[in-house]
Amino acid sequence: MVRRFIGLAVCGLVLAGCSSGNPQGAEPGSTVRLLAHDSFLLSEDVLASFTEETGIEVEVLAGGDAGSMVAGAVLAAGAPTADVLFGADNTLVQKAIDAGVFEPYAAAGRDQIIPAIANYLDTDAVTPIDFGDVCINIDNAWFEREGIAPPTSLEQLTTPTYRDLLVVQDPATSSPGLAFLLATISRFGDSWTDYWAALRDNGVKVAGSWTDAYYSDFTPAGGDRPLVVSYATSPPAEIVFAEGTPPTQPSTSVLTDGCYRQIEYAGVLAGAQNPAGARLLIDWLLSRPVQEDIPLNMFVFPARSDAALPQVFTDFAAQVDDPEQIPAPDIATNLDDWLARWGEILGR
Amino acid sequence: MGRDPGTLTVPVGLRLAWLVPAGFLAIFLIVPLVALGAVVADPALFTAFADAQLWSVAAQATGQALISVALTLVIGLPITALLYRVSFPGRRALLALATVPFVLPTVVVALALRTLLGDVIDQGLALVVLAHVYVNLAVVIRIVGARWSRVDPRTTAVARTLGARPLTAFWTVTLPALRSSIAAAGAVVFVFCFTSLGIIAIAGDGSVRTLESVIVRRTAVLLDFPGAVAAALVQLAVVVIVLILTTRMSSVPSRGREVIHPGPTRPSVRAAVLVGALTVTVALLAPLLTMAIASIRAEGGWTLAWWSELVAGALGVGAPRDALLRSIGIALVTGVIAALVGGLAAASALTHRLGRAVAGVGLLPLGVSAATLGLGTLLAFGRAPLDLRATGLLVPIAHALVAVPLVIAAAAPALAATSPHRGVVAATLGARPGRAWWTCYGPVVRVVMIAAGGLAAAVSLGEFGAASVLTRADSPTVPVLIERLLGRPGDAPFGVAACLSVVLMVATLVLVIAIDRLGRRRGVTP
Repeated sequence: MVRRFIGLAVCGLVLAGCSSGNPQGAEPGSTVRLLAHDSFLLSEDVLASFTEETGIEVEVLAGGDAGSMVAGAVLAAGAPTADVLFGADNTLVQKAIDAGVFEPYAAAGRDQIIPAIANYLDTDAVTPIDFGDVCINIDNAWFEREGIAPPTSLEQLTTPTYRDLLVVQDPATSSPGLAFLLATISRFGDSWTDYWAALRDNGVKVAGSWTDAYYSDFTPAGGDRPLVVSYATSPPAEIVFAEGTPPTQPSTSVLTDGCYRQIEYAGVLAGAQNPAGARLLIDWLLSRPVQEDIPLNMFVFPARSDAALPQVFTDFAAQVDDPEQIPAPDIATNLDDWLARWGEILGR
Repeated sequence: MGRDPGTLTVPVGLRLAWLVPAGFLAIFLIVPLVALGAVVADPALFTAFADAQLWSVAAQATGQALISVALTLVIGLPITALLYRVSFPGRRALLALATVPFVLPTVVVALALRTLLGDVIDQGLALVVLAHVYVNLAVVIRIVGARWSRVDPRTTAVARTLGARPLTAFWTVTLPALRSSIAAAGAVVFVFCFTSLGIIAIAGDGSVRTLESVIVRRTAVLLDFPGAVAAALVQLAVVVIVLILTTRMSSVPSRGREVIHPGPTRPSVRAAVLVGALTVTVALLAPLLTMAIASIRAEGGWTLAWWSELVAGALGVGAPRDALLRSIGIALVTGVIAALVGGLAAASALTHRLGRAVAGVGLLPLGVSAATLGLGTLLAFGRAPLDLRATGLLVPIAHALVAVPLVIAAAAPALAATSPHRGVVAATLGARPGRAWWTCYGPVVRVVMIAAGGLAAAVSLGEFGAASVLTRADSPTVPVLIERLLGRPGDAPFGVAACLSVVLMVATLVLVIAIDRLGRRRGVTP
């Protein structure tokens, strides 16, 4: 078995194809190592296209969840465990930039990025690749059955109508949970603590993880909470991953008020062994074929404005026109304090 | 250890055996921790210790772990007696079944328990403790059972002949013989519950916390490394104290050979045994069955759609067949490494003080935060000049580190309980020291190492944390696939994840039963 693993690794190195020069001066036949989080997924043929175009082999290394991956990159700053990092989101990226994790690079195709996404961070240290909105999801069938109108604003969630109906995730252990906390801080400013006290008094439930909330507490899965913190793209995912013939309508919808926009970045790691290959890989991640492959694999939106969306996205993914955001440096400074105060309010 | 060391000469090879576990631990435990320590050394570390929350979490986790241990022992010991002292049809299968919860990924166990008990018990301390008991029963059964099966039934028979009631005989004869193994099992369970993470997150209500959860939060959410290290050091200190205390409790062991009572003959006793076995089976199976049902259930009825989806490629997150083969391969390598390293450490503990020190250090991975060790391993062996990730060896090595303490905990009491007399006799008859030693300990070593190696392999099958960090992303193990699926919304990902959980349960059962058989075929001849 051990020999088998070594064999696989060697094959990976030898099989790299060959093609002529490229603008970055990267060596065909070399390998570029991409460190990515658990949710990173692209179609096999798209992944193979990088090697076909450049002659450089890609080795994708598992980084665990996004937080652990960034923590490892910060500890290894300057002598990294890969050449490129994909998947640092806007809650963590500032600390990684401050720690000198990334080598600045202005990616080709950068001018094609949706302005609102491009402008969030004013730096060449990292390149935005995709974004998604964390929003409250609604079990339409439940509300129909009970004859209650689904909520349309964050404020309504503290009213008696929606008592004991919402499940959120612990922001200290869950990325969407943290995004939702940030959404409330962005929306309510200093009085966010009052909002959470009101949510608590109105029976909000806190789950440990997205999986736990979505598959145990959310009513479609047999739980008793018809409102859950999830993603704006969960309804299209539900269609894509349905059994047999896909339903014409998802059974869930999205509360588009109070959504938090998560942006995922990629960057060349400072001290990379194959910096030229790393720069090519960033360009490639931002190229249209990859950008158009992203939605149905990772269920997030591409950062490029000219990337075509799959129909299930245009039909069913919620369009969030005015998402909540907090500047990255503010998050880096205040997160510890916010989590501590949230913990005090919720008694956790 | 209550034995006159002069009576049996320790062979030269064995005198040096401690070098193997010592080298393994130095390279794969100490080097990563030093690599990590070198990066995070920071004066802020000292102020981090002043954090009152750190100490309140430590106290709370200690209380939670003590409750979990007590309940695991109370429920586990009768089951151990049933499984190791009485013969009944299906005994081996039940023994294997009891191991399954221990090795399933915690996210699967916790989801299954919530599905089963969600309406009865709210998330919180009670559900956490219950989940800990369910998962850790196997530890008590395996470690205490290894010892109990060697308690000579003649001793209780003598006590009974002398007029002792069954309970008195148990209390005065059997229990003292089991004391060291109960202490060892209790210590291991305490440490697992004290450092628990996945179960705390899903079965808890957020007010239940462990230092490990503090470490993960400080590391992966706040990037506050001094705070994380302070918590990791407190956790390690508590674990070391517990291990030292329980090692002291280990007393003079009694010796015997493996004896399983023949099936009970009195109908009333036989009925009682069968009812007991049935109850245990149902209790163990119920949470597992919820996953099996989820794998063939869709909205509006029964379906095989998830299984055909699994065969077709598990929704593109990775090929399930490759993942299964990979997981089994890693499990076998882990079993061999852990049995060798742990077995040699336990054997060295018999010979001299240095060996005992090494065996003590071998228990340490129990208390070293998994998150900490993962990051340290990445820094030490995940980058130039020494990048071992492409070899695929880092995962079995990490798994072996986790399993070595279990091997030592299972092997050391059994070895210590073995009488050196046969070796002494062999030596008197002219056998060389090596031959004489093997005559005495060989059969025990073989059985114990096969059993412990099997446990290590099973642990590896279900491990998620290390496998999610220390590999190439295109070579996921089965638990990693399950987690990837459970991270997506929709009926299909959950259904396919349930199918994979069933596959993992069956693989575990087959592995454990196969290894038990292997151990039996090469069993001890009295």
